[in-house]
Amino acid sequence: MVLSTNAPVVMSANGLYKRFGGQVILNNAAFEMRRSEVVLLRGANGAGKTTLLNILTGNLEPDAGTLSLFTAAKEEHFQFPRSWARKLNFLDHFTPERIARRGVSRSWQDIRLFPTHTLRDNVALAIQNQTGESPFAVFYRRRRIREEEAQIAKEADALLVRFGLGGRETSSADMVSLGQSKRVAIARSVLAGAKIMFLDEPLSALDSKGINEVMALLASVVAEHGVTLVIVEHVFNIPRVLDQATTVWTITNGQIKVETPEQVRRQGLPTESDGVRPWLRHLAGTNGRVVERELPGGALLSYAQLPNGSGRAALNVKDLVVRRGRRPVIGRPIGDGREVEGLSFALPDCSIGVLQAPNGWGKTTFLEALSGVIPVDRGTISINGKPIQDLATWDRIANGLGIMQSRDNVFPNLLVDEAIKLAGVAEVPDHIRPFLGRRVAALSGGERQNVAAACALFARTNAVNLLDEPFGMLDAKAIARLQGEILARNGGATLMLLPAASN
Amino acid sequence: MNYLLHLLILLDVYIVVAMSLNVIVGYVGLLTLAHAAYFAIGGYSYALVTLLLGWSFVPAVIAAVLVGVAFSFALSLASWRLKGDFFVLFSLAVQIAIYTVLWNWRKSGVEPGTWENLTNGIDGLNAIAKPLLFGHQFVGLGEIAILFTVIMALVGVISWTMLNSPWGRLLKAVRDDELAARSLGKDVRLIKMQAIGIAAALAGFAGALFASYMAFINPMSFDLNQSIVLLSMIIVGGVGNAFIGPFFGALLLLAIPEALRFVDLPIMVAGEVRLMVYGLLLVVLMRWRPQGIAGSYRME
Repeated sequence: MVLSTNAPVVMSANGLYKRFGGQVILNNAAFEMRRSEVVLLRGANGAGKTTLLNILTGNLEPDAGTLSLFTAAKEEHFQFPRSWARKLNFLDHFTPERIARRGVSRSWQDIRLFPTHTLRDNVALAIQNQTGESPFAVFYRRRRIREEEAQIAKEADALLVRFGLGGRETSSADMVSLGQSKRVAIARSVLAGAKIMFLDEPLSALDSKGINEVMALLASVVAEHGVTLVIVEHVFNIPRVLDQATTVWTITNGQIKVETPEQVRRQGLPTESDGVRPWLRHLAGTNGRVVERELPGGALLSYAQLPNGSGRAALNVKDLVVRRGRRPVIGRPIGDGREVEGLSFALPDCSIGVLQAPNGWGKTTFLEALSGVIPVDRGTISINGKPIQDLATWDRIANGLGIMQSRDNVFPNLLVDEAIKLAGVAEVPDHIRPFLGRRVAALSGGERQNVAAACALFARTNAVNLLDEPFGMLDAKAIARLQGEILARNGGATLMLLPAASN
Repeated sequence: MNYLLHLLILLDVYIVVAMSLNVIVGYVGLLTLAHAAYFAIGGYSYALVTLLLGWSFVPAVIAAVLVGVAFSFALSLASWRLKGDFFVLFSLAVQIAIYTVLWNWRKSGVEPGTWENLTNGIDGLNAIAKPLLFGHQFVGLGEIAILFTVIMALVGVISWTMLNSPWGRLLKAVRDDELAARSLGKDVRLIKMQAIGIAAALAGFAGALFASYMAFINPMSFDLNQSIVLLSMIIVGGVGNAFIGPFFGALLLLAIPEALRFVDLPIMVAGEVRLMVYGLLLVVLMRWRPQGIAGSYRME
């Protein structure tokens, strides 16, 4: 898409500066955003994408800079730092509701619909200045509220139909699929009268059909309503967003570099990593094989079946459904959403597997369900044929399950030797020995990850090892060593959970 | 018969208090331990303006409501910044502060209701005016029971109407996800002030009814245990709907101590047994029916 340079500016910023502690996140960042512009906002992890989004939606004040909004009849200019007089005046605060009333809307990666409301009410709530939102108006403006409510319901229903959600108006928001939730969130922004929409990973956890639907909706929102979009998307989905983007903002060293999509394409785009597959192929060797299986929600299960395997399932997951509240996180709603198709797969004996899933797929929920931290709604989990889904976590460990979480995986206030002893590691790996007298909290991220891996792998030989992002924060040498350890300590099957585009 | 009428009157009063607490807990999603204090503020306000200023029933009840609203700012301003456990602790501080004032604002040998002996401490205030409407003084248990039941039903209708309006929908949205509501341009601070103000007004109203019926109040009726019992009422009955949950909660939690009267327990342990039964009831519900008997929202 090409943007007209004559399009009016809807938002601009100059000299934005933000630091957290000693770390400068934004340093003299500046931009101009125009009507109907579709901006792809990208940057490395920790570059400041979320910080920028938070500032531009009123959730966070920058330390310095100016922000101007031209979305409403009356322009708004914010100068940071705010003067003490403005700070004292609570009617003049820089808040999300104030920015939202100027036509700036935001969606989150985890969507944040109101779960106890119907889809109609979720959308209806977006309309500003409703008469009935005063507690006493219902007594003296009853008729007007009734008429207004009927009109709001009509508008909300029409929008839901347009967004492919006809017939689901009275469905509870916690009972619809992820793709439907994302559409409701966009519908909500449209009805709120958004002139600028900030979308945080709107395509995450969607399958190819869902991505097409959401992108088509966004295109229609821009074309019909002249809305400006700012989309933050995972590297995996960037090519899809680039097809519609008019501008690309790349945050590097705290500044915003503005480019065209063509310039970005010429530099070459990072693609979905295949880094894990060569390793799996290498592991499988000449006699083994690599099996790949697509799972619902855009996840991919790949495993190397090593030679000498018996072929029976070391880990068998059948028809697994796990819910957070009433919403199924593991398991996919089918039909009208009342039925849920459970997750099923098996990892054979003598295999090393990788489950790559996009953000929001439910990796953490999946790991917690397998670990016994949260209850399973339906289905079975078996280790070497023995069902473990009704066992407590410690009984699952006793039955051969080994777990390594991605975060909070070592007790920070223990010394490393205490942590190692607590895990039951008899033989301390050589590369851990230099840290033994140190407190875990004092270790770097990579060192801590090494300790966590040692605790998980060296305590005993497990029938099934579950490792959540085991290579995070490790350098190439440490990754190679850990890969060797995983292979050496693989008692039956190892399943690693990795983000979709992990290298 | 008189005993049953007495229970009916108390049930009417406690249903109104439970409905008011349900607005804060079930619709705004804030757990408060200060509700007995707001109940007390209504009762004492009514007692003082009738005793000292000679106000009649209706103006005195209005005064109790307004004083309740004025004190609601303590909680609503705190709710702007505090969430979760911190808000609970703040509400506990409000409860203890108000209870302590009621207990200690006294001076021996001085007339109750004067500036030096405003609350008369543990001895409380007595000879409080009975309800008076259209020139008729409600003295008999039967007529007070009818009056209070009508009032309770009216409050129920008003509460139901408000909470089932777009305002109630907005309250539930704030409860479900405050940040998402703010990002839709909703003034969450104002909404919380409205809800807590209305809840405090209703609690004050119930306090005035209570004082007018009992004709005597002292701080013992409004201690922390009372706040916990009120909270238990709506948790047991169920939060998130305007009337049915508070109704069942108040009914059950009033019925338990009355049922215990028929068990010959020593007076020293009866109170503790009552709390134990409440606790047991809460545990049972948490396990098998976390949304309460008739609740439409599950508190996390």
